[in-house]
Amino acid sequence: MFIGAIGCEPLQLRRVLLENSRTLDVYRQNGGYEALRTVLTSMSPDDVINEVKKSALRGRGGAGFPTGMKWSFVPKDSPKAKYVVCNADESEPGTFKDRYLLERDPHLLIEGMLIAAYALGAKLNYIYTRGEYRYLIDIMDEALKEARAGGFLGANILGTEFSSEVYTHTGAGAYICGEETALLSSLEGMRGHPRMKPPFPAISGLYACPTVVNNVETLTAVPDIIKMGGEAYQKLGTEKSGGTKLWSVSGHVNRPGVYELPMGYDDMEKFIMEDCQGIRDGKKLKAVIPGGSSVYIMSAEDIIGKDVRMDYEGIVAAGSMVGSGGFIVMDETVDVFESTKNLTEFYKHESCGWCTPCREGTDWLVKVFKRVANGGGRPEDAQLLLDLCDNIEGKSFCPLGDAAAWPIQSAIKRFPEDFRKHLTGSVV
Amino acid sequence: MSAQPINIQPRSQPVDIGREVASFSPEIEAEIDRHLAKYPVTRSAILPLMFIVQRERGYLDPPGVAYLAKRLSLRITDIWEVATFYSMLHTEPVGKHHIQICKTLSCKIMGEPKITEHVCSKLGIKPGETTADGKFTVSLVECLGSCGTAPMFQIGFDYYEDLTTAKVDRILDSLT
Amino acid sequence: MSTEPIKVTINAREFEVPKGARLIDVCRDKGFDIPSFCYYADLALQASCRMCLVRIDKMPKLQTSCTIICTDGMVVSTQSDEIEKAQRSMLEFLLANHPLDCPVCDRGGECELQEMTFDWGNLEERFTEQKNYKPERFLSPIGANDPQRCILCKRCTRVCDEWMGEDAIEAGGRGAHTVIGTYGGWLDCSQCGNCIEVCPTGTLLDATYRHQARPWELEQTISTCTYCSDGCQSSLGSRAGEVMRVVARDRYVNGINGEFLCIKGRFGHPFVNHEKRLRTPMIRYQKGGKLIPATWDDAIRHVAQRLDAIDAEHGSNSIGVVGSPRITNEANFVLRKFATELVGTENYTATDAFSLRPFFDNLAGQLATHRDIRYASTIVLIGGEPEELQPLTGKQIRQAVRNGGAKLIVINAVPIRLLEQAAQFIHIAPGAEDAAVLAIGGDEDDRIARKLGVEEAALQTLRQTLSEAQGDLIFMFGGELSAEAQIVMAQLPQTLAAEGRRVLLHPLPLYNNSVGAHDMGMMNGATDAGQMLAACGQDVRAIYIAGSFLTEHLHLQPDALSKLDFLVVQELFETATTAFADVVFPAASFAEIDGTFTNNDGLVQRVRQSIPPVNQSKSDWMITAQLAAELGVDFGFQLSSSAVFSAIAAEVPAYSGLRYPLLKDETRPIQVKHAIADRRDLTEALGTIRERVGAMPDAGEKILDSPEVGHELFKIGTLTDKVPQFHLLAAGNPRPDTVSISPLYQITVDASLRLEGVLSD
Ligand SMILES: Cc1cc2nc3c(=O)[nH]c(=O)nc-3n(C[C@H](O)[C@H](O)[C@H](O)COP(=O)(O)O)c2cc1C
Ligand code: SF4
Ligand code: FES
Repeated sequence: MFIGAIGCEPLQLRRVLLENSRTLDVYRQNGGYEALRTVLTSMSPDDVINEVKKSALRGRGGAGFPTGMKWSFVPKDSPKAKYVVCNADESEPGTFKDRYLLERDPHLLIEGMLIAAYALGAKLNYIYTRGEYRYLIDIMDEALKEARAGGFLGANILGTEFSSEVYTHTGAGAYICGEETALLSSLEGMRGHPRMKPPFPAISGLYACPTVVNNVETLTAVPDIIKMGGEAYQKLGTEKSGGTKLWSVSGHVNRPGVYELPMGYDDMEKFIMEDCQGIRDGKKLKAVIPGGSSVYIMSAEDIIGKDVRMDYEGIVAAGSMVGSGGFIVMDETVDVFESTKNLTEFYKHESCGWCTPCREGTDWLVKVFKRVANGGGRPEDAQLLLDLCDNIEGKSFCPLGDAAAWPIQSAIKRFPEDFRKHLTGSVV
Repeated sequence: MSAQPINIQPRSQPVDIGREVASFSPEIEAEIDRHLAKYPVTRSAILPLMFIVQRERGYLDPPGVAYLAKRLSLRITDIWEVATFYSMLHTEPVGKHHIQICKTLSCKIMGEPKITEHVCSKLGIKPGETTADGKFTVSLVECLGSCGTAPMFQIGFDYYEDLTTAKVDRILDSLT
Repeated sequence: MSTEPIKVTINAREFEVPKGARLIDVCRDKGFDIPSFCYYADLALQASCRMCLVRIDKMPKLQTSCTIICTDGMVVSTQSDEIEKAQRSMLEFLLANHPLDCPVCDRGGECELQEMTFDWGNLEERFTEQKNYKPERFLSPIGANDPQRCILCKRCTRVCDEWMGEDAIEAGGRGAHTVIGTYGGWLDCSQCGNCIEVCPTGTLLDATYRHQARPWELEQTISTCTYCSDGCQSSLGSRAGEVMRVVARDRYVNGINGEFLCIKGRFGHPFVNHEKRLRTPMIRYQKGGKLIPATWDDAIRHVAQRLDAIDAEHGSNSIGVVGSPRITNEANFVLRKFATELVGTENYTATDAFSLRPFFDNLAGQLATHRDIRYASTIVLIGGEPEELQPLTGKQIRQAVRNGGAKLIVINAVPIRLLEQAAQFIHIAPGAEDAAVLAIGGDEDDRIARKLGVEEAALQTLRQTLSEAQGDLIFMFGGELSAEAQIVMAQLPQTLAAEGRRVLLHPLPLYNNSVGAHDMGMMNGATDAGQMLAACGQDVRAIYIAGSFLTEHLHLQPDALSKLDFLVVQELFETATTAFADVVFPAASFAEIDGTFTNNDGLVQRVRQSIPPVNQSKSDWMITAQLAAELGVDFGFQLSSSAVFSAIAAEVPAYSGLRYPLLKDETRPIQVKHAIADRRDLTEALGTIRERVGAMPDAGEKILDSPEVGHELFKIGTLTDKVPQFHLLAAGNPRPDTVSISPLYQITVDASLRLEGVLSD
């Protein structure tokens, strides 16, 4: 599996291939904790937030919300404790980038979190990691221990006034706990149900205190933003999508892996055919899900010769989303009806059950898919599926409902044949 | 009086919440204290503690649940509602080696069905079942974040990636 | 909530609404229909059913009106094809896995899901797949559960947590496999049944009523509960002269308790039609002989003659007349007239656990209603255990703290469950309640802390809180207080009067008409129940009692009644008192009569006849009136309870001007006007308490463990003894070896579990 940068100097992946990359020593030999020192010694919290704003860094967890802006929502004057929570729940099908950042460069995350903690005045911070990533939690705990011993974490960091702690926390198998408010419920020891927004976590999050939830990749981008300055970082990418982005590439390419690309990389076809070394066994490209299971599926026609720029705007223009950057490539052997059924089963399994449309809707959708798959398809089922999706989309309590609907809507729209085949092929 | 009682016929054997409360060695208690110390609010430690109880007792058995309720000063229902929400927590016994095969899209198209088929025929059980000797349980689970190295499964907490049937044989044979 | 008005436009019509108003309430208030399941006033927001979707200008998606607070200039539409499709589809989703078994479902005919389906359902069912199966089961002796019918609105889990503070029932599992239930599947709680009440579907069901009747067969009669002094409004469902069930569902009644009832109010009714109810009047012709059935005329005549004779021989004071805090105002009033005007005896009283006379004689302020409690800013609870003895008060306190941010101070010798809500718990030594009253009264004497067994600092905090309290400051107290302490409490509205606050009082008597019995003057006699028993055979030769003496009184003087020449008892059942009776009259229960009870708010509420009198029983006051007539005095009430109530209004100042028609609407209950005493000189009362407290030893051992849930609620009394489920619960709610059931089975009561009736009712 490939891991590295294409079309730019490796930034977040700078250290991942080094020997013992996860140790404090290697981290420091490669400029580790310098950004933190700069911040603590020469910058005010607002300076930090401004740099992040200038960097045009957008949340890498999926929503793509401007990070600097999110940080600036935290009320400075609030007497309450403040928290930085790292979202390492990485459960979006097709996404595995955070895993390698945690595995190979844990100190980068710690440094990023501490800078955020300084900017927001947080004394206590948590890394919420999905329970299946137990070995990564052990790695993080080890790194945190090192950092504490080295004076980079805990009381009077680097001999300054600033004190802040970071702890790991484990999930226990629930995709919904990646959703930031559900994550906070889970971190509070509750069932992982999402919460009502507003109030947003920045105002009332963990223990009803101001809280910033950021993805691993978002936070690990911060030290470099400080080092090179917000503008420089932004210029690596495009005006609206600053910096570089990690793409988790899986499926029928010859070289899957974690690719760091500059935002606005040109173009998706080149990326698949050259950087990922094309489709396995000389097969033809059929479909791509570019941003994790929750985004619209793209057909080869949407990509080949369409010069799809790989950033937020570019991919939206091409009819999908960057999402989490879980880039799933499918060749001609794939039956998109089957692949959509597979994802729908995922959403049914992961629906938290809180709200009616998602709980009952995904259950119903799966039942229809199963019936059709077993030869019980009826011509009107396509319409039924679309209508059920329409009844879920925009009506569920949290975006998981939408995420369940979009793959189906786009699949039926872009691969009608794969569905028709099953529906009219039936004896009903 | 109208509702004249009739007997309730025994059907299934229900779970019995005995009064028994699990107890652990000082080392484990210390480990638990370390987790509790991480949070300003005790209840936050519920998941870490559940994993410990599960590790020590195989699953969240009634005495283990009673222990958690006591340790976290919560009601038994609070433990139950949380334990049943998360797919990695078991309120029923599971095999010594829990083989969790990822069945989500990337693994599916990269050969999960072949792996599942192989594992199941090798162990002679279906997904969701446990071998008679209680050694293996096979489950099909959702994306484990190894899509780039599909197909894969997780046994206990260990990842096994880029699986082939040959590799599966080696792995399963190595397990005692 | 500020009330400065703002403008919102709903369906192109502009309205002025108070700032902070909730959109769903506003829409409904203005007559726009909004469907909903999970929204429930004064419970935590859930926004999960997604039925209440509306369109709000400048907002991207449809919004749940239950979560939206109106803002000025908000433009809303509640009707459009888009909205209708959304709402119909939510209902379609809810029905997808819902078994369409309405014909065999107890809720059929009064099911919110059913009703909603009529209004918002689709004509044809598109869901043709397998429905998810979940087996039916019992949750407890009073609760049956059919999880398949559940729509997960979670009203049940929220009332269990927020109203009862018990959190006994919760949602388990995830996604489509979510089920409401408990660990191990057995419900250990106070069995209030509020989860059953608020369930909009047939998921949680009354196991005692299961498959007994269909709602449309029932005649619903709104009445007042006959158990504790909270006076919950409830609806008796009767069929062919039999009370089948009691509910508080607010589509029928919306009294002080909304949909709340406790186990007694909801499940304690089977005594009404019980086979052990007395059938006819009975006469014991000679001491030691048997009670022999007699006609009403014979029995009345017999009593009249004997009373006349005893009066002639020993004088009128030798005849004791005893009322009851369990019977109506009408009954107590007529008894008191009988005692004072006809017999002319000084020896009359009512069999209450304690008398509130000293309190009411010195009352310097208003009684707090349950509504006042919910919105109070500070609540001080001295002694008592509302969550077991006055459950509605308990719930109001809990909600005041949890939803209203009120400050609760618990002063108790026992760590009662309400502690969970308390801002301060002053854990005093048993029997030191009076000392606590001194501390509240302002005594700084450091001995008090020693007697109470608490830090002086705790008392300072208490005084601090009291001096700072704004808004409604409410004092509650139980039966532990001495007469003098009651006087001090009664005067607090004077003592603690200050700008920006009301000081309200809320006594916690035990019985449904304790306050009424006092108001009717029944507690004004020269003797109380204890003294009356002591006098048996000496000054008192005959007793005419409605109801029975309390166990706590009889236990002290077991053979007192045997010393009487003549004892007349009006009762529902044979009791330790009827055992000594020379004549027994079968009395009608609350379900069979018209009348009024006065609750601990001072609210006078209607008791309405639901079924004809069981057997040959008669309303208590009618028996007394008939006896009076036999003795030559016609009270002139004919057979009309309202005539009696008019007489009450005429003779009892606090009730003046009241008439039954004014009490018609249980949503607007009327508080009687207890006389407000002016400032009293408390030196004497305080002096007495100080002496008594001074004489107390310093605090020793304290009671450390909290009482079991239900230790009072499940107690077997004369009435609850007739309800099998109470015997199961009193025996520790043993879990049957299975909880799964076929629709036909009813819960069993193993006779071996029956406790020998400890009669406390
Ligand atoms: C159903 C669902 C699942 C999500 N899963 C994840 C996740 O696994 N990891 C993540 O970082 N964000 C996830 N998110 C996004 C988070 O809600 C949140 O937007 C993100 O953590 C914010 O961090 P960022 O601004 O750095 O992206 C998920 C969102 C939804 C609705
Ligand atoms: S959409 Fe509703 S049921 Fe689905 S995950 Fe979100 S809150 Fe839970
Ligand atoms: S009432 Fe608003 S979502 Fe249920």
